[in-house]
Amino acid sequence: MIELQGLHRYFGTTRAVEGVSFAVAPGQVFGYIGPNGAGKTTSMRILATLDAPTAGDATVDGFSVVNDPDRVRHRLGFMPDFLVAYPNVNIQEYLDFFARAYRLRGKERLRAVNRVMGFTGLDKLAEKPTTGLSKGMKQRLALGRALIHDPAVLVLDEPAAGLDPRARIELRGMIRQLANDGKTVLVSSHILTELAEICDVVGIIERGRLLAVGTVDEIQRRHQDPRNLVEIHVLDGAGSLGTWLAEHQEVDGLVVDGRRVQFSHRSMPEQDAALLRAMIEAGFQVVAFGTRRQSLEDVFMQVTKGLVQ
Amino acid sequence: MTTDAETITIEVEPATVAGETVHATVGRVERLLVALGDRLNPILVKETRQSLKSRQFVITFTLLLLCGWVWSLLGVALIGPGVYCGTHGPTMFVGYYLILAFPLLVVVPYSAFRSLAAEQEERTYEMLSITALTPRQIVRGKLGSAALQMLVYLSAITPCLAFTYMLRGLSFPTILMVVFYVAVGSLSLSMICLFLGTLPTEKYLQVIVSVLAIVGLFLAFCFGCPIAIAITFEGEGQFRDADFWIANAAIMTFVAGYFVMIFEAAAARITFASDNRSMRLRAVMLAQFALWAAWMTYAWVLNKGEEGVIYCFVFFAVLHWYATGAMMTGESPELSLRVRRQLPRSGLGRVFLTWFNPGPGTGYVFALAGLLGTLAIAIIGIVLGDLFPTGHNQFFHPDRPFWFAAMGLCYAAFFLGLGVLVLRAARRRMPVGIVTAVLLQAVLVMTFSGIPALIHWMSDYRDQSYSLAQIASPIWTLIHILSDGMPAAEEPLLITLVPLAALAVLVANVPGIVKELRFVRIAAPERVAEEDADLAAQKTPPQPTRKSPWDDGQG
Repeated sequence: MIELQGLHRYFGTTRAVEGVSFAVAPGQVFGYIGPNGAGKTTSMRILATLDAPTAGDATVDGFSVVNDPDRVRHRLGFMPDFLVAYPNVNIQEYLDFFARAYRLRGKERLRAVNRVMGFTGLDKLAEKPTTGLSKGMKQRLALGRALIHDPAVLVLDEPAAGLDPRARIELRGMIRQLANDGKTVLVSSHILTELAEICDVVGIIERGRLLAVGTVDEIQRRHQDPRNLVEIHVLDGAGSLGTWLAEHQEVDGLVVDGRRVQFSHRSMPEQDAALLRAMIEAGFQVVAFGTRRQSLEDVFMQVTKGLVQ
Repeated sequence: MTTDAETITIEVEPATVAGETVHATVGRVERLLVALGDRLNPILVKETRQSLKSRQFVITFTLLLLCGWVWSLLGVALIGPGVYCGTHGPTMFVGYYLILAFPLLVVVPYSAFRSLAAEQEERTYEMLSITALTPRQIVRGKLGSAALQMLVYLSAITPCLAFTYMLRGLSFPTILMVVFYVAVGSLSLSMICLFLGTLPTEKYLQVIVSVLAIVGLFLAFCFGCPIAIAITFEGEGQFRDADFWIANAAIMTFVAGYFVMIFEAAAARITFASDNRSMRLRAVMLAQFALWAAWMTYAWVLNKGEEGVIYCFVFFAVLHWYATGAMMTGESPELSLRVRRQLPRSGLGRVFLTWFNPGPGTGYVFALAGLLGTLAIAIIGIVLGDLFPTGHNQFFHPDRPFWFAAMGLCYAAFFLGLGVLVLRAARRRMPVGIVTAVLLQAVLVMTFSGIPALIHWMSDYRDQSYSLAQIASPIWTLIHILSDGMPAAEEPLLITLVPLAALAVLVANVPGIVKELRFVRIAAPERVAEEDADLAAQKTPPQPTRKSPWDDGQG
């Protein structure tokens, strides 16, 4: 449904997007991850037909965003990372205006406005002026506007930015529901744990280049550090445990923090069990011993270099 | 009242029926209004809702009513008992005009400007632009909103205008004429302001344009006042003169022509880059030229071949093609795939319609064709004037208007061609737009006219005679031809160098023009063709098919 083909966008000497290509199928949620200034918003704006690429193209339902933006606009709902409301307009009037702008008429328009207000939970605030809304409500309204014409494709730029935990969880639910309804969703966010939960596919972008694309598991496997992260809590003697570990095991990144010792090492579960047994035999009072695999955040940190342009 | 059930039914029945009828009628009217509202431009609906709640509208409307009321009381008090017998209508009317003209000529157009400029500043325009609204609908909506505001202000002052009619001394057509012109002025200024609202993208430019818009509107208000006063006090006498109405028709033609052109330009400014933003504008330019030629031909016939009409025609026609040509040369030389899908296919279509395609080369040729058309029409006028002398043109010098037209054409062609060449070189290093192209033309004309004039005046400021140094200056040369004819000493060089220079830049532009002509029509992508076929099928009902010779196909 969405396809980016060798997309480039230059602003003078700055290469905001450089050869980005990926595809998102209907019913999929694609998480677009990258540090600030990586090129996420630029590529999303091109998809939303708000900007033109320097080279390459993107298609929505087979229509080029460069040559057929009018056809793309009927199929795409865009939620930018800001909502500037109109003065002297309430929520219902705001949505009604956009419904009219998408050529919805009569009862169809009324149904669309009610459906969207119900979905975003804005129905109780229908008469509230759009300029006096909280950040969370503004985000809901922006999502409502993007959904008003029931588009098949949704492009959401940082939809969870500035939301409280409850609103975030609710938004996550909404996005998942939209994907379940068969919509193609492209969503960017800085909150990686959230993306990991709702996204089917993830793309990591930095300095305009797409560094990795795939399902969260695929990327984790591809960029997985074979070593496990081990975290040990002891009653006391964390310092001496650190010294003991450094002498007896091949460990990396040893960190001693109060009663906690953390390190990474290449091991199988049997070797972890042996290590735990050896520590107890050496007299350390181990309270907790845990190993964990890398999270999306760890992979993101590993793939990206923290470079901005 | 009885409590008998049957009686109650009989008593209530007629009322219920009447109530239901009223209800049904109200329901029908409501449905009709809803259906009508659905047909209205969404921007008009939104902006009307906003305006009615906005402080600016409330203040302006209240002030208008208050001023009308105060002027009514003050005027009647000043006139005194004379109000019963004197002819004080015009005096009172002028006061009401001023009260009405300020909101109509300043407030409404500036609101239109701010309405579009604020959408761009606050980035709400982005969300608007990705809806199904076309750029023309957006401009129409904003213009409609300005027109509605204008009508509201007008309706508020209407009772006062009716009052002036009752005061005698003012005819109904005069009131109508002034109101009509102020309304046309308000709409035209709103259109110009909307166009200005599409221009700036940077903050500092927005501020500059905003200040220019305010100054321009105040000037328009100030210029409008004497005209309105003149019509109020002297208009009546003119109404019986046919020439007065012909002149008005001519003015309205030009206002309408430029209104459409500015409308198309504003819509083109906000149309997405890959669309054809030039074709309609070029068609309007051509229509305007045709209208100008038609009116000037009429004026020429009316004035029995007066030489001045030819000068007037040539001057404004050359200015028209030069100004529009300057804008066209700022277009991108690349044709988007979308535009290439709509290119003419037939030989005739390619010959005549290619020049309407966007591009600096085709734009240059389009302007040249217009300039040549101007020269051709001027030559026809000169020849006819020479062949059929009348009392009006007995001192007719055919060479003077000819050289004026020919030199005007050559200068315009030279500067436009030079502009295309400079812009082509500049495009390799930086993006170039229409504003850059227009500014470049201004710089070129100022340089070529200003430097020789400066050198001339620095050597001897008292000497105003034409010299060889001014060949580069179109302004000095054309003024000289107009006032004294071709300069005798410099004529051979002038008629050789200027046309040669124009020809040289035309030849230098040929490769670029040819490159633009090489674009050929391409097929629409499969997905687009597929959707178009689906849409066409939805519009066309399925045709009945005959299954046997006896089947009439009706099913």
